Amino acid sequence: MRIAAASSKPPNPLVAFEHKRDSYGFPVRPQHVQRYREYADIYKEEEEERSDRWSNFLEDHAESTESPANGSSDNSHALSGESEVLKEDLHKDKLGSVPDNASEEEGRPDSEKTLHRVQLWTEVRPSLRSIEELMSIRVKKKGDLSKGEQEAPKVKSSPSFDDAKSSKGASENDSEDEFYDVERSDVHDGSSSDGTSVSGIPVAGDATFPMSTCPWKEELEVLIRGGVPMALRGELWQAFVGVRKRRSKDYYQNLLAADSCGNSIDQEDTQHVDDKGSNAEALAAVEKWKGQIEKDLPRTFPGHPALDDDGRNALRRLLTAYARHNPSVGYCQAMNFFAALLLLLMPEENAFWALTGIIDDYFNGYYSEEMIESQVDQLVLEELVRERFPKLVHHLDYLGVQVAWVTGPWFLSIFMNMLPWESVLRVWDVLLFEGNRVMLFRTALALMELYGPALVTTKDAGDAVTLLQSLTGSTFDSSQLVLTACMGYQNVQEIRLQELRSKHRPAVIAALEERSKGLQAFRDSKGLASKLYSFKQDPKSVLVDSGKASLTNGSLSRSESGSSNADEVLVSLTGDGEVDSVQDLQAQVLWLKAEVCKLLEEKRSALLRAEELEIALMEIVKQDNRRQLSAKVEELEQEIAEVQRLLSDKQEQEGAMLQVLMRVEQEQKVTEDARRFAEQDAAAQRYAAQVLQEKYEEAVAALAEMEKRAVMAESMLEATLQYQSGQLKAQPSPRQLNQDSSAKNINDQLPEPPQSRISLLARPFGLGWRDKNKSLTRDLQNTAPEKTVEHVVNEEKPSAEEKETDSEPKDAKLQDTS
Amino acid sequence: MASAGNKNINAKLVLLGDVGAGKSSLVLRFVKDQFVEFQESTIGAAFFSQTLAVNDATVKFEIWDTAGQERYHSLAPMYYRGSAAAIIVFDVTNQASFERAKKWVQELQAQGNPNMVMALAGNKSDLLDARKVTAEEAETYAQENGLFFMETSAKTAANVKEIFYEIARRLPRVQPTENPSGMVLPDRAMDRAVSSSCCA
Repeated sequence: MRIAAASSKPPNPLVAFEHKRDSYGFPVRPQHVQRYREYADIYKEEEEERSDRWSNFLEDHAESTESPANGSSDNSHALSGESEVLKEDLHKDKLGSVPDNASEEEGRPDSEKTLHRVQLWTEVRPSLRSIEELMSIRVKKKGDLSKGEQEAPKVKSSPSFDDAKSSKGASENDSEDEFYDVERSDVHDGSSSDGTSVSGIPVAGDATFPMSTCPWKEELEVLIRGGVPMALRGELWQAFVGVRKRRSKDYYQNLLAADSCGNSIDQEDTQHVDDKGSNAEALAAVEKWKGQIEKDLPRTFPGHPALDDDGRNALRRLLTAYARHNPSVGYCQAMNFFAALLLLLMPEENAFWALTGIIDDYFNGYYSEEMIESQVDQLVLEELVRERFPKLVHHLDYLGVQVAWVTGPWFLSIFMNMLPWESVLRVWDVLLFEGNRVMLFRTALALMELYGPALVTTKDAGDAVTLLQSLTGSTFDSSQLVLTACMGYQNVQEIRLQELRSKHRPAVIAALEERSKGLQAFRDSKGLASKLYSFKQDPKSVLVDSGKASLTNGSLSRSESGSSNADEVLVSLTGDGEVDSVQDLQAQVLWLKAEVCKLLEEKRSALLRAEELEIALMEIVKQDNRRQLSAKVEELEQEIAEVQRLLSDKQEQEGAMLQVLMRVEQEQKVTEDARRFAEQDAAAQRYAAQVLQEKYEEAVAALAEMEKRAVMAESMLEATLQYQSGQLKAQPSPRQLNQDSSAKNINDQLPEPPQSRISLLARPFGLGWRDKNKSLTRDLQNTAPEKTVEHVVNEEKPSAEEKETDSEPKDAKLQDTS
Repeated sequence: MASAGNKNINAKLVLLGDVGAGKSSLVLRFVKDQFVEFQESTIGAAFFSQTLAVNDATVKFEIWDTAGQERYHSLAPMYYRGSAAAIIVFDVTNQASFERAKKWVQELQAQGNPNMVMALAGNKSDLLDARKVTAEEAETYAQENGLFFMETSAKTAANVKEIFYEIARRLPRVQPTENPSGMVLPDRAMDRAVSSSCCA
């Protein structure tokens, strides 16, 4: 209804508001705001469809069921009017009677407040009466067992305005029936079996349970699984729980009156407080709850617009009244949320009776001091999960996650604050209708089905729990959830659950006892408790110790009974002692059984774990070729190292080679230099040789010249000598001749001194020449002197030329070598 | 249990204590650094996880925040069993919550893991005027019973991180036994680094 209302209002005031809270006024987590908005439209459509279906259903069946349900007391003309009123109601609620922005939310509690003051109790609207009658059959059974006095108010005739009953339907709606056909056929097997499951509630164990025979019950069930219209939710829930039948007039007021005048609790002692002796205790207990209730009041949906001061006062009254009503439960955290939700949907006293029904019947033993049923249910759920999701459970075992860590809070809070609110309400619809906790199991299993595949991928316990929590918290598709739960797990039935519960209950009780004993043992390490504790610690000595322990216990209990008589002691040793020890042994056996069960379970889970681990290991080993890879890497690295070593060797060699080459080069350079030097030397020598040759030639030429001269001089000398000898005949002394000849040398151009010098020099020649040429001279003596000189010169010249031609080839040779 | 990989420790931690002592607020402050005046009552238990880096390792806390009401006591063993650490919270303005804390200590000593690191947190230390339990009293008790004590305030965030850090510091550093291949590869990498540096 709020959704429809929200959409019908201008968006501006809503944006800021809806940002944090959903259409029911509950906070939406920031990470879910987007998804919530996506689903808000779907919710709205579903809600509209739902309203139509329900109004049609009520029209159709008011007619067929009024008469059997309410007997003959009805005037049968006003059904059409009634159903129109209903339609109007639905419409009104849809279109904004239920506020959605802050100002209207403030307005609402005011109206509630006046409602609380003026009218704490209201009946459900008449059109739902038939459903109420149907459902309250369950309560009647319960009432027979414990609250006989309630018969009177229950039988009480309907209020005056209730007479708007009719057996005339305005219009049969065949198309609507056809619309349901598909769903109905889907549900058919389930709903028939559900009928038996409902009738299997132990408190209503009667085989002839009219509810399962009711002709339109199946249709109703389908409708409820489809969701209850918001406008009808409060009243339908009351009808489901059987509030009207549970109600005993003034009971609630009297419980609250005890608050002001201390002992007025006596007034209702006939009804619920078992005996007067316990009144004082009960009162004390109530006072103890008071503090806790007070602490939790502001911690219940903090900031919810409807829970202002008046709302919280109502909540306080409700919780206090319940604590007084049922001291064995008193106040348990979680009830504050339930009570607050009920207060949002119905008047205070109605909410009280609804809460009473839920806690006392639906969740009997759940919120009591020991919370035994809650723990039993977790064991049952674990077994069911193990049965249905072996793979998931294996994985969770492997991670060391217990299903109950997460599902425990789910069950205890009935999914409040665990699922989005739309889903919570849808689960509650079915749960309250069915009248037992089956829906808890079905919903939990459906969530496991939806999210199990994702959970299997998690790597550690923390991730798994975080993922499951966040996925659960974003289960906005409420229809999918409810249908998965109801269709997929319809074979999870109350009978089966009861069997499983009775199977697991002893273990829980034993564990509880063991724990308290263990604690006691720690406090005073004496007596039976310590024995039990120690033998719990040391299982090997179980047999011996258990015997001792029972004996000790026997004596202890006897001494406690304070029997001083020796005979009695004797008797007690034989009789009482036996009884005691038998009882004790029975307790022991029970305890040991539980212990064995636990150990077996542990063993089983350990085996499973081991198996899982082994498989995981195998897979890891199979998949994990890291070792091979690392070996390869090692090999490759070694190869690389070798190659690198080789490389470095080569590099060294290269270096050496380079050095060698450099040296060679240097040497080459040196030799080149040497060669160049040698060449230069050679050139120099050649030059020198040439120079020498030239000098030699010069010298030869000079020699030839000198020879010529010498020849000339000789010939001159000869001529002179001949002239002298010619003169000698005239002149006696050669001396004179010499003097004359020197005088004559002016003509010969040969001065006297060179003549003498040559003669001196050429003495050996001269003599040789003279000897050699004596014959020539003799020949030439006959010819003219000048002619002979020429002749001599002619003779001499060829010899000089011969010498020159000899030296020339020598030069050529030297030039060749250069 | 605390299980360790290569300096990565997963530690299950449980918060125990009386109703309204501030367990959830303490966790909320630690995990999200938020504080709300009226924290919704915890039903059953709530789970959070947060990772802390202490000087030589990273510790991933898997935190179970349990319900405080006495009857939820019967569900507590499920959460403290196998825990590596526990924070027992009491309200310094409430003597009864301190007595309740003592009971929790006793129970953990009797039933819990003997190597569990236990911390005693005196929460709401910002409420100076309303104080009923002195720091000395709590400190003495903590020393006698082998746990460490800190006064915290989820509201002002005083000592909240510190108490978790201290627990992380005290957790036994289990040497990694599993997943040896995970060890081999880094070593190899180092070898490679060394060899390449000497070859270059």
